Amino acid sequence: MAERSPRIEVAGTVFRVTGLAAPGRAWVEARYGPFLSRRAPTVTLEVTARERYHPGRTPRPSATWSNGHFALASLPARADGDLARRRVRFRSAPGPALNPDLFRLLCGFLLMQAGGVLLHASAVVDRGRAWVFSGPSGSGKTTIAGLAGARRVLNDETIALRPGPRGWAACATPFYGSGGPSMARANARAPLRALCFLRKADGFGHRRLSPAETVARAFPEVFLPKRDGRVAERLLAALTALATAVPAYDLSFAPRAALWEHLDGLG
Amino acid sequence: MDSAETFPVRKPVPWRTLDTEALLVDVKGGLLYPLNSVGARIWELCDGARSVEEIVGVLAIEFEAPEATIRADAVEFIERLADVKLVSIERRRRGESR
Repeated sequence: MAERSPRIEVAGTVFRVTGLAAPGRAWVEARYGPFLSRRAPTVTLEVTARERYHPGRTPRPSATWSNGHFALASLPARADGDLARRRVRFRSAPGPALNPDLFRLLCGFLLMQAGGVLLHASAVVDRGRAWVFSGPSGSGKTTIAGLAGARRVLNDETIALRPGPRGWAACATPFYGSGGPSMARANARAPLRALCFLRKADGFGHRRLSPAETVARAFPEVFLPKRDGRVAERLLAALTALATAVPAYDLSFAPRAALWEHLDGLG
Repeated sequence: MDSAETFPVRKPVPWRTLDTEALLVDVKGGLLYPLNSVGARIWELCDGARSVEEIVGVLAIEFEAPEATIRADAVEFIERLADVKLVSIERRRRGESR
């Protein structure tokens, strides 16, 4: 009997994960549970081997892309694939069967191919539309997710932004931050209301950002290495499209629920 | 810098203009440099065909500021772009081909 291959759906891409032994499958199904899918796969992920661990300094993640072939590394895990064949070889490190750091890099790379970006951000859905809050570690992404109250949190660390025929959408991902697995409980999406780049303060304030400022603020928060010319070019195009379509703000905030009233007052 | 014989040349990095501003990516460092409207115009003019002196001449027509100020600022800005290797500097006499 053929082994059952788990399917994971992230921001519209459905990965069929093959090559896992039973313990690996169980780990994947537990770790990515809310994102398991029954939809037809769009990408096959072949977990082929496990890289040996090489002690020493861990190099920075990398992404290269040429002639439809790409290679990603979040060492010691690596992935390489062919965009036309929609197949990816995924060589995990010892430990998790589907290394989350590398899987996130892969999701970001494939999302970029669809014109989207995977952003270091939290997102909260208020009255059907998503506010996305971005910034470096410590800027308050998880804090804001904790202020959501009855509003739906899409994630406290990693949000997929994807263009579509009816505008940009914010999509949940399974890559949560310090808020833990409770921040990735459901695979949901919502139309994008606005992007906010955070700074902690004693009160509330905001400034509308120009499209160029928006790209400059978002660029370092995208989960992709930017040291490949084609990757950087495609990323710049995606961010430019986002910044010209969606309002963005520099947002100062205090950790109080009055935040939502302040956001109501934005244009 | 002899501005009449110095020809700055943009490196082939990803870049684009948004409104009047420009965004350049330093691929080696994985960094993005936002430029204001004056910086963006200087970047556009660093095509290897114009000397620094000619770039200053264009800026003096397009922006309202004393030419001496424009020259000092443009030279400093081009030197900074050269320091981070976003432009290369060619030195040749006017009329010499590249």
